[in-house]
Amino acid sequence: MILLEINNRVVEETLTLKIKNAQAGLKNESIDITVADFDGVLYHISNLNGDKTKIRTSISLKFYKQLQEHGADDLLKKEYGPYLVTPENGYNVSVLLDLENIPKNWPDFVKKLGLLKRNCFASVFEKYFDFQEKGDEEQNRAVIPYRDDETLYVEAKADRVTVVFSTRFRDEDDVIIGKVFMQELKEGLRASHTAPPVLFSHREPPLELQNTNAKVDNNVGYVTFVLFPRHTARNTRDNTINLIHMFRHYLHYHIKCSKAYIHSRMRAKTSDFLKVLNRARPENKSTDKKTITGRTFIRRD
Amino acid sequence: MSATLKPYLTAVRHTLTAAMCLDNFSSQVVERHNKPEVEKEKVLIETSVNSVRISIAVKQADEIEKILCKKFMRFMMMRAENFIVLRRKPIEGMYKHKLVDFVIHFMEEIDKEISEMKLAVNARARIVSEEFLKRF
Amino acid sequence: MDGKLPACVIDVGTGYTKLGFAANKEPQFIIPSAIAIKETAKVGDTTSRRLNKGVEDLDFYIGDEAFDATGYAVKYPVRHGLVEDWDLMEKFLEQCIFKYLRAEPEDHYFLLTEPPLNTPENREYIAEIMFESFNVPGLYIAVQAVLALAASWASRSIEERTLTGIVIDSGDGLCDRKLYKAYSNRWPQHNLFHSVSSTRERDRHPPEQSLETAKAIKEKYCYICPDIAKEFAKYDTDPAKWMKKYEGVNSVTKHPFTVDVGYERFLGPEIFFHPEFSNPDFTIPLSQIVDDVIQNCPIDVRRPLYDNIVLSGGSTMFKDFSRRLQRDIKRTVDARLKLSPKPIDVQVVSHHMQRYAVWFGGSMLASTPEFYTVCHTKEDYEEYGPSICRHNPVFGTMT
Repeated sequence: MILLEINNRVVEETLTLKIKNAQAGLKNESIDITVADFDGVLYHISNLNGDKTKIRTSISLKFYKQLQEHGADDLLKKEYGPYLVTPENGYNVSVLLDLENIPKNWPDFVKKLGLLKRNCFASVFEKYFDFQEKGDEEQNRAVIPYRDDETLYVEAKADRVTVVFSTRFRDEDDVIIGKVFMQELKEGLRASHTAPPVLFSHREPPLELQNTNAKVDNNVGYVTFVLFPRHTARNTRDNTINLIHMFRHYLHYHIKCSKAYIHSRMRAKTSDFLKVLNRARPENKSTDKKTITGRTFIRRD
Repeated sequence: MSATLKPYLTAVRHTLTAAMCLDNFSSQVVERHNKPEVEKEKVLIETSVNSVRISIAVKQADEIEKILCKKFMRFMMMRAENFIVLRRKPIEGMYKHKLVDFVIHFMEEIDKEISEMKLAVNARARIVSEEFLKRF
Repeated sequence: MDGKLPACVIDVGTGYTKLGFAANKEPQFIIPSAIAIKETAKVGDTTSRRLNKGVEDLDFYIGDEAFDATGYAVKYPVRHGLVEDWDLMEKFLEQCIFKYLRAEPEDHYFLLTEPPLNTPENREYIAEIMFESFNVPGLYIAVQAVLALAASWASRSIEERTLTGIVIDSGDGLCDRKLYKAYSNRWPQHNLFHSVSSTRERDRHPPEQSLETAKAIKEKYCYICPDIAKEFAKYDTDPAKWMKKYEGVNSVTKHPFTVDVGYERFLGPEIFFHPEFSNPDFTIPLSQIVDDVIQNCPIDVRRPLYDNIVLSGGSTMFKDFSRRLQRDIKRTVDARLKLSPKPIDVQVVSHHMQRYAVWFGGSMLASTPEFYTVCHTKEDYEEYGPSICRHNPVFGTMT
């Protein structure tokens, strides 16, 4: 797996099972599942008012308020329309599935629910892509605190949309591996002509974010994507959003995989060293067997 | 192996062969401290009545080599139990030339492995970046 | 963010891995503990053969997807409950976390499980992987049997909740070997291997589906009977009432097939009590093993052990399993203790969380505030190293 998936498996599999069971005429059982997703997102799948035929899927995002400022509600209305219900207490969005009235195209519906988090995120990108399309440069930069002390900045100009991720490395060594990755991202333009240019800065925020309260810290990195109209056009923007909203996790996932890879190399090398060392050990000629109490076991034959 | 490394390793080999006089071998030429050195690499060989301590400085040219070296050392230290040379009680009749071979092999390989790991991490970073960017 | 997001609970068993988020009643995923990798046929030992220059090491599948992947070799990183291949284990966890749970491991505490006789080294290796590769903020390695005991608390009152008990853990599906673990909180556990074969069907059905079919039959029709002879008689007098038909569909040709299920309904599970039916090498029934194990424990814990025999795992789900086991043990005990002044209470605890008891116990534990205080943290790891995990606090009084 190189790219991370954008859909949530638990949500999809749980709902699919529920629908299939209902269609097969099995008794509906009550459900109450809480699962997490990236960026501190929580999903809660439960029965509405204890009614076993009503399955409510709720999502909570810590930064939903900021997303709302950028039209998250409208986008979700467009995507989930009639299935939206009043958000459950403690959650931001709730979608209801009625097992007595299963949508005809339920596989699509389930798939869409699996993308709930992605669609919440999408609103801010959609909005700024629209600004760019209209040439509206007057808008303030969007600031989304997508994780504790990690922030996403989006800004539109007439000819581009700039997306800046700030990310924090929890481990000192990760900073160094992370720098190697970010350097390669910067040079990645050579690989593809359609890719957006990438800039990165370690410790200091990029120029456009100076004089904001963007953090200056040795464990912080800033990655800037410059998206051109070819990325924000109507027919490509979905793909762009799919990729870019997962970028932070893509980077950190691969830093972790690299460490796992280093581990397996070290395991191989260590066993190689041991092999050479053990050649220096005289072969054990004695075949004494000891019992558990330490007495020598002598075979009498 | 670089050209400068070769005479260095040869020097280490000779010094070690002389220094490991733990078997009943008497010598009047062995000195107590032997420090062959090439640029950043160095070895400290200290002998005593019943043991030899060999300390090896591993080349760490940049940040990434430094952390790889740190990780590798920590990794091996955790498995120190398996390395029979690290022990409180001596083993009778170890083969000296094989032990020297091991130390030399270790010194040859450790540099090679660390630079290979570094290249591999760079290669991964490149592939991963390209994979991401080419999907736009 | 710590503390707010639920902890991840991963129970990697020999056959199946149960994973999910704490506080849920059932694991979110139950996948085979299998990993499909591409192996090149170069010479050299396995460890060096797997090394690659690019990102080929990311090209693998785990769980059910491992069996669907063509051109890959399917491996099992865990054998007999113990991790055998750490490279594969690390990769397996990689996908468990990022693909299945979709958790940023830096944000969640983790609860992993280990078998009762795990080595301290293994605990260190798992700590090394979790803290160094994945940067988890906290890790707790729990003994499976202890979690199974904790899971049984759900069916008991607060005063009765004890960690002294004996756990009979019998997994389902893939593995023919069943592992019976006995465990008390003060003495080392006895670990017995006991080989029994699962309900294999002799009738004609697609061979590639034989395991699947056997599993379905096992779960649907099998039960434990109080007396075999009487049960045979019952079937013979009224076959129509007792003989069942299993109907399945061949997954390849889509042709339906049926399997007659007769005496197997009670003979299959009977191997727990008469193992010689399937393999003459094993003659000791389960009730006898439990009794022996308890008799081998120090005398002052025997009573509480008899009083808390806890079942765990899919193969203990047969109807009336606990009743039969309790009766058989009780008979043995009563026969021996005719002179005892005070009769010994034998209680086999069966509860509705039994199937995934270990995972459920973990989920319960990891959702309490105390969990965060007993976890080993990343700070501890960086300060003291992997040795912090060598010690299992549950066995504290032993040392």
